Amino acid sequence: MKLYEFQGKEVFKKYGIPVQSGFLIHKNDEVKNLTPPLVLKSQLLVGGRGKAGGIKIWDGNTDALKIINELFSLKIKGEKVRAILTLEKVDILREIYLSITFNRGKSTPVLIVGTSGGMDIEESARLNKEKIHFVEIDPFLGILEYQIRFVAKKINIGNYLEFRNIIRAVYKIFKEYDATLVEINPLAITPSGFVAIDAKVNLDDQSSFRHEELFNRLREEKEFIQDKKKVHTSKPKEDTITYVPLSGDIGLISDGAGTGLFTLDLINEYGGKVANFCEMGGITNSEVMFKSLKMVASDHSVKSILVVLIGGFNRMDDMAEGILKFKKELNKDIPIFIRMCGTKEEIGKELMKKANIPVYDSLNVAVEKTIKKAMEN
Amino acid sequence: MSILINKNTKVLVLGITGKSGRLQTEIMKKYGTDIVAGVTPGKGRKEVEGIPVYDFVKEAVNNHEINAAISFVPPPYAKDSCIEVIENGIKFLVLTTEQIPEHDVVEIIKYAENKGARILGPGSAGLILPGKCKLGVHPPNMFKGGHIGVVSKSGALSYEVGKTLTENGIGQSTVVAIGGGPYWGLTQLNILKLFQEDDETKMIVLLGEIGGTMEEETAKFIKEKVNKPVIALIVGKSAPKGKSLGHAGAIIEGDLGTAKSKINALREAGAYIANDPEDIVELVNKIGVK
Repeated sequence: MKLYEFQGKEVFKKYGIPVQSGFLIHKNDEVKNLTPPLVLKSQLLVGGRGKAGGIKIWDGNTDALKIINELFSLKIKGEKVRAILTLEKVDILREIYLSITFNRGKSTPVLIVGTSGGMDIEESARLNKEKIHFVEIDPFLGILEYQIRFVAKKINIGNYLEFRNIIRAVYKIFKEYDATLVEINPLAITPSGFVAIDAKVNLDDQSSFRHEELFNRLREEKEFIQDKKKVHTSKPKEDTITYVPLSGDIGLISDGAGTGLFTLDLINEYGGKVANFCEMGGITNSEVMFKSLKMVASDHSVKSILVVLIGGFNRMDDMAEGILKFKKELNKDIPIFIRMCGTKEEIGKELMKKANIPVYDSLNVAVEKTIKKAMEN
Repeated sequence: MSILINKNTKVLVLGITGKSGRLQTEIMKKYGTDIVAGVTPGKGRKEVEGIPVYDFVKEAVNNHEINAAISFVPPPYAKDSCIEVIENGIKFLVLTTEQIPEHDVVEIIKYAENKGARILGPGSAGLILPGKCKLGVHPPNMFKGGHIGVVSKSGALSYEVGKTLTENGIGQSTVVAIGGGPYWGLTQLNILKLFQEDDETKMIVLLGEIGGTMEEETAKFIKEKVNKPVIALIVGKSAPKGKSLGHAGAIIEGDLGTAKSKINALREAGAYIANDPEDIVELVNKIGVK
């Protein structure tokens, strides 16, 4: 779950990381008693809002309401502005970059510190290697004093103790919130010390079982400022289905990501186009099969559906049940092509045969049939 | 010889009383795997398929010789159970569980590294030594004994390729699925190293997918250290950028992790590139080891 800046800053405050004082304005709030100068920041989950005009400074010479209304009329990368964080303006002497995330290739947490803030870290990491410093963290030892001293020296930090406390707090948040990223970009050095100008905190959805209250509260806050109809990202996860809309006329369902990716390549190669891709994931049963078919079939551009099943964990008797339930309850006329093999395939195939649903052993044949049907319809 | 396990390996099943654990234990046992004990907390003193079940790993190792373990434990308890296994001196663990919190996965991998234990997974379908035994969920009828070593990220893709090879009369020495990432205990490179040293393996099939840089690192190793023929198939050529299609590791971010970059690196390292399982069959026949 990605947190909004205002949510991230609440967490920062709790852990003693200095942030600017300020408050949140919702779209229909009545706004009064503003004192300049203020920084007005639209609250969005997409990156690059500054460049897209989502951050404004009000110096008191113009009408604040006009700026606020302008921000509320913005739509950046498809996301509408529904809340604005107003913050006191601070004098910035210098900006740096600071984050803790996972180095996935090395399976370890990593502290990343950059000599200048506000930058696109990936871009900078490629272009200016000497300006960005990475320190791997042992998850059992946590971040060590000498590691902090090392980066402090590298980027020339004067106020070491304050810097150390911030890094320790960031690591604490990273651990205690099961975060996959805690980023301060930029971390400003002001005449009165460090201030986190921005906050990016991503939580691991897979850890939600041990942070139920936190996830619920954050989700409620998010839904409050989002257009509820469009809340996809914060939907609680009940299953392991991955659904990806593409553009074409074939619905593709697989019981493994590898075979799914491969079938997608195969369909492309044979000249077909996939409308949507649905991978059922590790926790599969007849209900997941049923739900996946329902999801894929609800897209009106889908002219035929290919179900690719090769079960190890996944049981073909369960899959057959899900397919039969879909046929019986929703009775859609979309033709379904099934490739079925693996665990309990004898029972699965028998069930399909009884219901007169054709099953193919060869993936290539099933792909060809599916494409042909989609073209006919 | 074979890699990681052999038909004398004595196996412990974690989460043996759950739906998957029970069914897979039945299939593995029938296939010839020597499963000596199971563990499910709170279910001690029961039996599954005639196999004794214990509350703790310690009780199992006190009563049986155990060389390897496989875990079907759900995500909230996965870390605890992995540490318990490693702590009790078991040096090889297949971790089938998916969706384990990232902080837990990183700790599991680090702990194993510290204690000299090997983890296959998380999210691994395990491995099969066709005709001998298996420690995982590979459907037995899709494999037959032979000399091709197969290593795959995806479990399902390793079944797919095993099935095609078997249908075309080409047997396999060991088929290994390392998991869909983005974190791995044993990597492609680790498995290739074992295949390189394994007498029974004459040729290697590498099944990769988009995302990350593992294939690129594997390619470097192939170039420097592998003298057995390697056939590589990379899937996800037509996947859209920035979207994960099921495996959290299979995502193209920026220019990183594309099929093209992986294929180029592997080709440059001297691997044969296949487009689909049929291609692999053709290449195996052309190179000429059966």
